[in-house]
Amino acid sequence: MPKDAIDTNPLVLRNTFAMGRHPYHPQPTDEDSSSASETDTLLAGVGYTVRSSDLLNVADRLEKLDSTIIAAAAAGVPPEFLCSSAVHYNPSDLASWIDSLLTEVPPQSSPSMWMDAVCLPPPSSFSIDAHRLGEEEDAGIRLVHLLMTCADSIQHDDHVLARSLIDEMRLLLPLIGVGYGIGKVSIFFLDALDRRISFLPQPTKSVLEDEILYSHFYEACPNIKFAHFTANQAILEAFNGCDRVHVIDLSLMHGLQWPALIQALALRPGGPPALRLTGIGPQTPKVGLRLAELARSVGVPFSFHAVAAGRLDSVRVKPGEAVAINSVLQLHLLLSETGPIDSVLTLIRELRPKILTVVEQEADHNKPAFLDRFTEALFYYSTLFDSLAASGGGGGRVDVGCSAPAEVYLQREICNIVCCEGSERVERHEPMGRWRVRLGRAGFEPMHLGSNAFRQASMLLKLFSSEGYGVEEVEGCLSLSWHGRLLITASAWRARADSAVAPPACHRYIVW
Amino acid sequence: MGEEEKHKVEQEKPCSYNINDNADLLAEILARLDGRSLCAAACVCRLWGAVSRKDAVWEALCNRHVSSSATDSSFPGTRTVVAALGGYRRLYRRCVGPIFDRLAASGDHGPQSSAVAAAAAARLSLSLFSIDCYERLSVGGRQRPSSLLFLGSAVDVT
Repeated sequence: MPKDAIDTNPLVLRNTFAMGRHPYHPQPTDEDSSSASETDTLLAGVGYTVRSSDLLNVADRLEKLDSTIIAAAAAGVPPEFLCSSAVHYNPSDLASWIDSLLTEVPPQSSPSMWMDAVCLPPPSSFSIDAHRLGEEEDAGIRLVHLLMTCADSIQHDDHVLARSLIDEMRLLLPLIGVGYGIGKVSIFFLDALDRRISFLPQPTKSVLEDEILYSHFYEACPNIKFAHFTANQAILEAFNGCDRVHVIDLSLMHGLQWPALIQALALRPGGPPALRLTGIGPQTPKVGLRLAELARSVGVPFSFHAVAAGRLDSVRVKPGEAVAINSVLQLHLLLSETGPIDSVLTLIRELRPKILTVVEQEADHNKPAFLDRFTEALFYYSTLFDSLAASGGGGGRVDVGCSAPAEVYLQREICNIVCCEGSERVERHEPMGRWRVRLGRAGFEPMHLGSNAFRQASMLLKLFSSEGYGVEEVEGCLSLSWHGRLLITASAWRARADSAVAPPACHRYIVW
Repeated sequence: MGEEEKHKVEQEKPCSYNINDNADLLAEILARLDGRSLCAAACVCRLWGAVSRKDAVWEALCNRHVSSSATDSSFPGTRTVVAALGGYRRLYRRCVGPIFDRLAASGDHGPQSSAVAAAAAARLSLSLFSIDCYERLSVGGRQRPSSLLFLGSAVDVT
């Protein structure tokens, strides 16, 4: 080899530098610059697009790559990563080729993340070795694709294809960690799809089961607490200066929203008003008695009236009392094609409420096309399950067969969204934008929730052990968010002054 | 030299004053402690235990969290309401203590920095306390009310 020719073998180059010789280091002499340009020409001649001035850097990186390969091999990563999934765009561009290798080499301490697609959350235990984790992520992404394809085939009524996809997905499940993340949610959606094409009847629900699941969901994550506290703050502010107040709760359940309001009214400057509570819908036995006992002990005059589900028309409003109507995750149940949403909203308006508090999921699960609905639901519930897992209410890593009750509560919603149609599909979540239009059409105008509600909600969320929760304010409504994704929105409304409404009569029965 | 003699004389003199003779004064002193120290003080002897259990002591502690000034800025009816819901000691143990700890630990300024934030935290504590009281009415003491579990360390509520 001639004296000033370059041996372009990278290892030889490295050795040259290692020996302390820097024949290609740019020096500001005529001779050197001419030899450098000559070197460049020679390098280009053999196919490398690298300048001689860059070679020092290249050698450094090569050394780093070398030591990383050795370390990775010691950690058990198979060296064939260099020729299997690493993507090389232009090996002749030496510098960037080595860079791309270096960025693809897994760092010694943690497993690799080679996918530039959906990034799955890492498992809590790092004992899985990197190669298997790559497989797991592959399987996770594949599962999501299969779920979408299956939903698409169902939309096109191709049940044969859907069945084969479901079987394929079940084979894929053991490869994924099903205790967390996308794996866990996928199982629920997979089961729901299976139910749908098997035309299985919906499982019978018992009221007791509903109540138990609801209370577990209440404890497991802040969503419902956020709803209650925000609505209560709005109602409290609306009741300022009123002596007789009447709260109508469209879904009483355990009545957990009301102790806080009773206590706040008791401590109101100027003394508590007389409070009437009408609870509609399923409720635990003796709710009224317990709330009455609580109210009596703190000195709030209280009376309770229970109304069967769906009988809003039998609610009586007395003249001179301020009315608040509270709906937490209820109005969306009325949105089916033949649903009574418009007549219910008219009824509500005729009660002339001082405030109507509406809390709804911030998701669009009422789209007519099945695939759209399915996709939306998949991503919404993934976020929700993530938040549940982080709050410690998800039960952590569990076997497939055993889900925390809070998750079962959500699973029922998923099943309803995916499996049911027509009047059976009741979980018709709609985003606040649509509610705004609908409530505006029904004669309501929005009331801004104010900074007290915001401060209270932020403080409440800080008390939860996980860091991802946040409160967002959008056009006067407050939303609970998990890492920026809105989950649930609380808003307040009042009847527009110009909307034509008959004045309330004493003991009036509204027949519908 | 002189100091040693003085010390000897003091040791020989009989103790004429014992704090245990004056429970009201003891209560005043204990009312200035923080929650953990108060619990530790309750373990000293039976008298200290009885004095530490007085709700007035815990009331002073709770009010200190709400406002740093000596004058009580809370509503006059608060004492009645808190007593009805279960007392200041329970309020501190179940709500005020964990809430203020958690808020301080979560960074920013926490309720210590501003009176407005402290008042908001106090109102939140009372609200959560009322839910706790209501749950105790519901379950009748058979099982632990669970709405405040989230205030403890991360728990599995399955």
